Amino acid sequence: MTTTNPPDDHDDRLDRIADRNPSRLGVGRAGSRPRTQTLLEFRSDHGIARDAVQSHVSDALVEEMGLFAIQTLVEDKDAYLARPDKGREIAAETAELLREECQQSPQVQLIVADGLSSTAIEKNIPDLLPILLDGLDQRGLDVGTPIFVTYGRVDVMDAIGEELDAESCLVLIGERPGLATAESLSAYMVYGPERGTPTAKKTVISNIHAGGLPPVEAGAEIVDLIAEMCDKQASGLDLTAADREFAKG
Amino acid sequence: MVFNPPTDAGTLTSVGIDVGTTTTHVVVSELAVESAGASGSEKLAIGDRTVRFRGPVHETPLIDPETVDIDAVAELIASDLKTAGVAPEAIDTGAVIVTGETARTANAEPLAYQLADESGSFVVATAGAALEAILAGQGAGSAAYAADSGTTVANVDIGGGTTNTAIFDADGVVETRCLDVGGRLVGVADGKVTKLADPACTVSEAHGLGLAVGDPVDRETLSALATAMAGLVIDSLLGPPYDPLTRQLSIGSLPDEPQAIDSIVFTGGVGRLIGEYTAAAEDDPFAYNDLGPLLAGALSDAAADTGMTVTRLSEDLRATVIGAGTHTTQLSGRTVFIDLDLLPLRNLPVVSAGSLADIDDSDLTAAFSTVLSQATQRYDVRDVGGVAIAIDDVGDLSYDRLRAVAASFAAALQDGYSASVPIVVVTEQNCAKALGQLLRARCADWPLTVIDELAVSTGSYLDIGEPIAHGETVPAVVKTLVFGS
Repeated sequence: MTTTNPPDDHDDRLDRIADRNPSRLGVGRAGSRPRTQTLLEFRSDHGIARDAVQSHVSDALVEEMGLFAIQTLVEDKDAYLARPDKGREIAAETAELLREECQQSPQVQLIVADGLSSTAIEKNIPDLLPILLDGLDQRGLDVGTPIFVTYGRVDVMDAIGEELDAESCLVLIGERPGLATAESLSAYMVYGPERGTPTAKKTVISNIHAGGLPPVEAGAEIVDLIAEMCDKQASGLDLTAADREFAKG
Repeated sequence: MVFNPPTDAGTLTSVGIDVGTTTTHVVVSELAVESAGASGSEKLAIGDRTVRFRGPVHETPLIDPETVDIDAVAELIASDLKTAGVAPEAIDTGAVIVTGETARTANAEPLAYQLADESGSFVVATAGAALEAILAGQGAGSAAYAADSGTTVANVDIGGGTTNTAIFDADGVVETRCLDVGGRLVGVADGKVTKLADPACTVSEAHGLGLAVGDPVDRETLSALATAMAGLVIDSLLGPPYDPLTRQLSIGSLPDEPQAIDSIVFTGGVGRLIGEYTAAAEDDPFAYNDLGPLLAGALSDAAADTGMTVTRLSEDLRATVIGAGTHTTQLSGRTVFIDLDLLPLRNLPVVSAGSLADIDDSDLTAAFSTVLSQATQRYDVRDVGGVAIAIDDVGDLSYDRLRAVAASFAAALQDGYSASVPIVVVTEQNCAKALGQLLRARCADWPLTVIDELAVSTGSYLDIGEPIAHGETVPAVVKTLVFGS
């Protein structure tokens, strides 16, 4: 068996390329297989990704962030993965509870949902949420009762927004983890939420994590976008259409 | 960041104007603004640079050897831009660079500012031998060549008055080495020596050549002078140790450590002659009424003796002006906090707070007070229109840390800075929008702009243009202004 391309034999130029990219570049091989080190790292990253999907956001964080906790129609993780439709809907009793316990008709309804990475919520929300709330307050926007949703999909914001008659809705949700990072968060926003709103009408900021868009900076960026959404009464492609130059004919 | 297709960002029209010792040129380039990656959170960057118009080479008009004819230069440039079909309103960015001996003339500074003002809304004025050297190397393609080949390349830009060397390796500029050696330090007309600038006299004396203005042209003596000058250029590349004469003619200080160089690229007016040095130049070495062809020949021989490879790239004569037009502008990060009423900002002096990573929250106010008092002692902030405070590292990018930074900065500002004078904060980390929002909450009425993902240091100057690419980024130029030094 021969080992080729050991890392200490790298050309400087290969190092520079590898350093610019989170992919597993120039890791070498042992015969026709990955090196032991590479295989172990791969398995470890895969384990982290699986944990991100399977674990739950801690009650302590939900409480610390002052979130009102509810659950979708989904009853456990397996059902969550198998039935995306159930992750977008809430039970009639839950809707009733929301109307009783949460502020009605807010300008901005804020939702945190575990999605496919509870790790993303644990890692990013503590820095993102406070600057977001600061900023929305500075802009004079009326923010309703922030909600935490267990087993939530992006479009659960349509159901919650509709039930609470929110002017706009924002969901901070864990992204499907990969092998480069398992802690990436997305922010989806919609103006005039109602069930069945197409994805094209939603605005998104993705790749929020320490190695991407830092959560604290993302919070300030979301403030700007929500302010623009409320100002122009639009979201998604409707919001950016004016900025785009489509070739006609 | 919001998903926008990478092609969405558009192009910038950039002008480069070089007013040199001997010649003046204009180039117009298109700079493509591109997103570096697919995930959308990477900053925008300038990608392809295409030179759209290369203006003719003009003799730099002078009123006398110490004074550039500003109006005549302005006319030449206006007429070239007209030929190029570019209206000043269509120019997004660019730089006027006053180079070589011209940078030391009495009116270099007003010249540069006037030309910058007349040439478009965000064309900036710059000067300085080190900057010239770097721009020439970038314009010639030496920087890209070093990066692609992974080798160390010395770009030696030799014009009429100065030789500006920038050494590049795969990661960028390593250092600069600049000398008072150039082709127009000696003037020749009608068989007589008509000009012998101070550095040429110094070399002549040191080598006992006894040259003087009015002497009949003696090819052998002038060849000896050219050989001596070429020797100094090579000495500046090989040293230390340096010939005492090299030190005497150096502009700024020379590096204390030798630098291994794989290849040399010669650019500038004399640099181009090295490539074109032929039997014709041999027959009539004074075709340009100066020492240029002889100096080029001597350099070619001297470089060959060093064993370094002499490499030719596509841009030589116009290297500096192309560098000025294509490599001065940087882009900030994509999430910034800007006050549109403040932009464009020009010539803001930079004072750096350095890294704050090791400073506890409770000591931040003291740290910022120190930086602001340095700024107010060095500059009349009201007079210069504000200052830029650079922060290399704010520490942890957490909400609590940024709030502490903002609170401390606001406290220091209210305590030790002139009210209502603009303040700009420049961070290297991606946190401008968050820091801006936190600062705005603490000093509501202050004219404030925060930009990020730029590295600037104390003593440099910063220009910030109006937002481009759908407001996602601002163009910025970091300069080292050394007019008249």
